[in-house]
Amino acid sequence: MKRTSLESGLLIGCLSLFFIVLGVTSLTGSLVQDWFKLSSPILGGWLLLFLMTFWGGTLAFKKSPSKSWSETLRTGLSVGLVAGIMLALTIWGLGTLNAQAVPIREWLVQLTPAAIAMLTMGRAPVVAALLMFVVMLLAGIGGAAWAYAALHYQWRSVLNTRWLSARESVINMSLVQKYQQHQYSKQIAYGVGALVLLTAPLYLGRYWNYTLGTVGLYVILGLGLNVVVGMAGLLDLGYVAFFAIGSYTMALLTAPQPHDIVMSFWLALPIGVLLAACAGVLLGIPVLRMRGDYLAIVTLGFGEIIRILSKSDVLTDFSGGPRGVRAVGGPMLFGLNLNNEFYFMYFIILGIIIVAYATHQLQRSRVGRAWMAIREDEDVAEAMGINTLKYKLLAFAMGSGFAGFSGALFASRNKFTGPEDFTLLVSINVLSLVIIGGMGSIPGVIVGALVLKGLPEMLRQLDDYRMLAFGGLLVIMMILRPEGLIPSSRRKMELHDDESEALVPDVLVEGGEV
Amino acid sequence: MNLLESHKVTKQFGGLLAVNTVSLNVPENSIFSVIGPNGAGKTTFFNCITGFYKPEEGDLIFNGHSLVGRRPDQITAMGIARTYQNIRLFDDMTAIENILVGQHHRLHSGIFGAVFQLVGTRQEEKKALEEAQELLDFVGLQGKGDIFAKNLPYGDQRRLEIARALATKPKLLLLDEPTAGMNPVETVEMMAFIHHLRDELGITILLIEHDMKLVMGVSEWIVVLDYGMNIAEGTPTEIRSNQRVIEAYLGRGSDFALVQGD
Repeated sequence: MKRTSLESGLLIGCLSLFFIVLGVTSLTGSLVQDWFKLSSPILGGWLLLFLMTFWGGTLAFKKSPSKSWSETLRTGLSVGLVAGIMLALTIWGLGTLNAQAVPIREWLVQLTPAAIAMLTMGRAPVVAALLMFVVMLLAGIGGAAWAYAALHYQWRSVLNTRWLSARESVINMSLVQKYQQHQYSKQIAYGVGALVLLTAPLYLGRYWNYTLGTVGLYVILGLGLNVVVGMAGLLDLGYVAFFAIGSYTMALLTAPQPHDIVMSFWLALPIGVLLAACAGVLLGIPVLRMRGDYLAIVTLGFGEIIRILSKSDVLTDFSGGPRGVRAVGGPMLFGLNLNNEFYFMYFIILGIIIVAYATHQLQRSRVGRAWMAIREDEDVAEAMGINTLKYKLLAFAMGSGFAGFSGALFASRNKFTGPEDFTLLVSINVLSLVIIGGMGSIPGVIVGALVLKGLPEMLRQLDDYRMLAFGGLLVIMMILRPEGLIPSSRRKMELHDDESEALVPDVLVEGGEV
Repeated sequence: MNLLESHKVTKQFGGLLAVNTVSLNVPENSIFSVIGPNGAGKTTFFNCITGFYKPEEGDLIFNGHSLVGRRPDQITAMGIARTYQNIRLFDDMTAIENILVGQHHRLHSGIFGAVFQLVGTRQEEKKALEEAQELLDFVGLQGKGDIFAKNLPYGDQRRLEIARALATKPKLLLLDEPTAGMNPVETVEMMAFIHHLRDELGITILLIEHDMKLVMGVSEWIVVLDYGMNIAEGTPTEIRSNQRVIEAYLGRGSDFALVQGD
């Protein structure tokens, strides 16, 4: 028994216990049950625990200095033994306590009788504990054996070379090559993309138009924040404030209550954008003298101030207070009422295209370069003749304007707006999707929004775990892929320049086209 | 005619007089050096000229206009550019982008031009790019335009920093220890390059330097600072034999050997 493998077992055992206490096992169980239409959640829960220990086995194998077959067996066995004993004791204990009707839930809310029944498979605690012990032993050995096999048969490198050669052959296929060489290849791709986008709302249906519409609004928010954080390097944690300002402007100007202005949507939209941009400048003038962490904290405060103000009793007559504003107006065009998810999807797609195009052009312009220079070194940027305050304000105003645009559409589409739509979580969400998608990358923001806003929407059961998943995802991303899911080519080069082999294939492929 | 005049400039940090009533006149088209031991206030004086510090007393006149109270970007637009002792490039931008940033105040396109790709903007960008390319060639970095600044070798980074400063079309170029960290061969090249800058482009050069060899070889006029004060002034030969300068350097130790060794 090596100490390292016992430690791996302990780690896995603790992690599994943690999962059980948090209710992750029950959740996995019910998800698997839903997806595969099973009769009980037992399989999913046990599968998670099995996979954990299996993973522990592979981990321990990687750590063990000897890679012989007998050593592998011993490594897997010790991982399984430690994890097995821990889990068996837990199941036995929980099962017994549950049988004696001890109210475990009072201390550990996730350990409901149903969750415990899932762990004990509805059998006597001792039987379930023994069964768990055996399963964990098998899992540990299985994991180690798997790692042993992977090492000795070199699956990974074989698969990798296959993948590379397959890619090469696809690229070399005359049709693909012809397409790439075709002078209009880009335009054709854009055309197909536009066609898909234009027809998508037609066959998506109500639910998907609504869900993807929300994702789209977050894409606009993300693209706006990308200007502020990604390009100009100003960490704004109160971004939701400008979303709220756009949203409330639309609501107060078009709703019959509390002001009875009932302005046209088409007039309220630009006013919302403008007001949000002005708020950005007004906040920016005092705040942008601060840098880095200080700026983040002040903007964080500003975001909360706006939300609390909108909620406060003092402003109830003005902004509807905690109840929010109802019956927000929607767009009319030539006497046609466009106020439903379906038409809004088109507005949102159009909005994304406009914002994406504008930010893309700005990125490569004199303005974009000034922003980048400020991000890199503010003092030097100033010494090179850039009026830094002016450009920082410009970035703030643009980002805020886009947020206001998104907010105005949001309020009008939902026909409602209220303080609870503008929590700190929105700012964090948007920042996370920019980071996870890839800072400074426009496709990255779109993918980030789909992952962070679309997935939770589809996996409603996971709602309680959203923050946990966010945190985990961010940590994993920062370690494995700090440049984001779809990095801008620039960021990729910045972060992985020394890993030249990662760049070589692309260069070769490009060379091959010529 | 004097391009830059400093009249009794004083800069204080708390009780410390970093720059104490420094007066000097930099004639147009000259190579002018400010030397002094560590902590003599040379870089602080530079920061006063470029607008990062506001001197408590005294005045700085550039080309007939006072610099005091102006923002750094305004001063750059008036025709003063600088490099830094510890190179400060925009690391995560390419060499050519670094130079384009230097051109910033001479270009005009704004948001609308960029978003709608107006004809004027496109022409301006094209011209700016050509000019940046020329500058890159001028400092000897041909073909390295698309490399990230941080990935360039040390000597190239120094040159790029000068190219970026030149992109602002300065009348006066402030070089803060341009040969710091260079080997003797690179130092000699840099000396030739500084001469070249003045002769070719007609730029007045104000140099801060520790390397005595460089200062003596290249400067036409030298000012020596110690404890923030102007202690001596003259041609290289005069400075070499000045008793106060020798004392200032001897007091701190080893640099004197360099003066003598020349």
